[in-house]
Amino acid sequence: MSVPSGYSIADYGDMVDCEPRMSTYAEALKRAVTPDCSVIDIGAGFGIFALLACQYGAGSVVAIETDSSIELLRELAKANGCADRITIVRDLSTSFEPESKADVVISDLRGTMPLFESHIAAIVDARSRLLADGGKLLPMRDILRVALARSPKTYQSAHSPWTSNRFGLDLSAGQRFAVNDSTKVYLKPSALLSPAQDLEVLDYRTIVDPHIDSSVELTADRTNTAHGLLIWFDAEIAEGLTYSNAPDAPSLVYGQMFLPFSKPVRVEPGDTVTARIRARLLDHDYIWSWDCDVNDRTNGEQRLSFRQSTFLRKVVPPAALKSGSNHFVPERSDLMTIDRDCLDLVDNGRSNGEIAEIILDRYADRFSDFQQALDHVSNLLRRY
Amino acid sequence: MTDILDHNWQISADAVANQVGNETVILHMGNGTYYGLDTIGTALWDGLKAGKTPIEVCDQIAAEYDVDRSTVLSDMREFLNALADQDLVSKSA
Repeated sequence: MSVPSGYSIADYGDMVDCEPRMSTYAEALKRAVTPDCSVIDIGAGFGIFALLACQYGAGSVVAIETDSSIELLRELAKANGCADRITIVRDLSTSFEPESKADVVISDLRGTMPLFESHIAAIVDARSRLLADGGKLLPMRDILRVALARSPKTYQSAHSPWTSNRFGLDLSAGQRFAVNDSTKVYLKPSALLSPAQDLEVLDYRTIVDPHIDSSVELTADRTNTAHGLLIWFDAEIAEGLTYSNAPDAPSLVYGQMFLPFSKPVRVEPGDTVTARIRARLLDHDYIWSWDCDVNDRTNGEQRLSFRQSTFLRKVVPPAALKSGSNHFVPERSDLMTIDRDCLDLVDNGRSNGEIAEIILDRYADRFSDFQQALDHVSNLLRRY
Repeated sequence: MTDILDHNWQISADAVANQVGNETVILHMGNGTYYGLDTIGTALWDGLKAGKTPIEVCDQIAAEYDVDRSTVLSDMREFLNALADQDLVSKSA
């Protein structure tokens, strides 16, 4: 399962170039594929893993992707002489009904973090419905790692525009939102102020719960200013085949996730930060919360305490949430009526243009011309 | 049985409150449920968050909004019960 990714073909090119990610995946796939075996590629993009599976001898491959980039695979499969072995499914993997289960299921549905949109739900579904008993699931597992980090440059956007600006405006009310936003970064080892700790093991062979709730104690190992927590992951695609987006590893397309502190914290060697870090999947997106206590090295006393969450990064008008509750009673709007009419006009052999003409005639006050009506109709129907 | 207004209350570690103007949206991180607070609910929530007793919060609200104290006390009981039922607050030790 993956929703339309929003990646461009150039983005996918970056993923193919991303090393050691690509070589590790390719080697894992090569080892997993046996002559004439079946493979399912979930969130296939333009189908690089599907093409490789054929090259390694797979007898049949199903490439599943909701994004239109998958259409490129038809041309690429012909160019690589494997069009007869690849089936393209432009849908969610959770909606796909396989004729038989696959010997290998491969995916990379991560964002900056493996906890990304419906990744875990897709894996859980694939494991139970798409993967044959004894089949290979790639990747095998990810281990989330966390450390204290210094990054004044990253922290700047959470701090300086809100506390001082050259226009003499009081923008301080914005800071409480800015300091609760996660940032994709590419920090190096010099940014770390503590040894890293394991935060969570995501074993895709067994995982069920898409949420995490873990606590760690991070001990500063040098004197400096900590600006937040840095989280990355160590990936094990198959037994012994690994890569990482750790600061001391080559930069990968994923980047790392930086969670800022409410305010910068001066730390000395031996000072500790106890952090409870939670990630909860809500409405296809993860909310991250990080509750941190900074404790003095000499007496263990708590110096600072932060309670932060990406839920607090956006201005959320209560009315916007009310409309999503089960108690909310929606009222019919003019736009709903137009959309209802558009949908009613489908299935009678009418083209988009013919539907647009009828809609334009009925709602001349809403559309200035035919093109505007046509855009409305085509955009509406594209959702289906 | 003691009145719930006689207890001190603390905000649950699971409750993440996002305040915009005089309204608040609370997310319960444990179960992923959203809750909305209006102006008075926000004032009550802020008071509890600041460590005030329910009685202190009621007195402040009654004075600030010029409403009948007994009404505020009644509302506070209902509010606290609702928050406790949803695991958003708990009695302090």
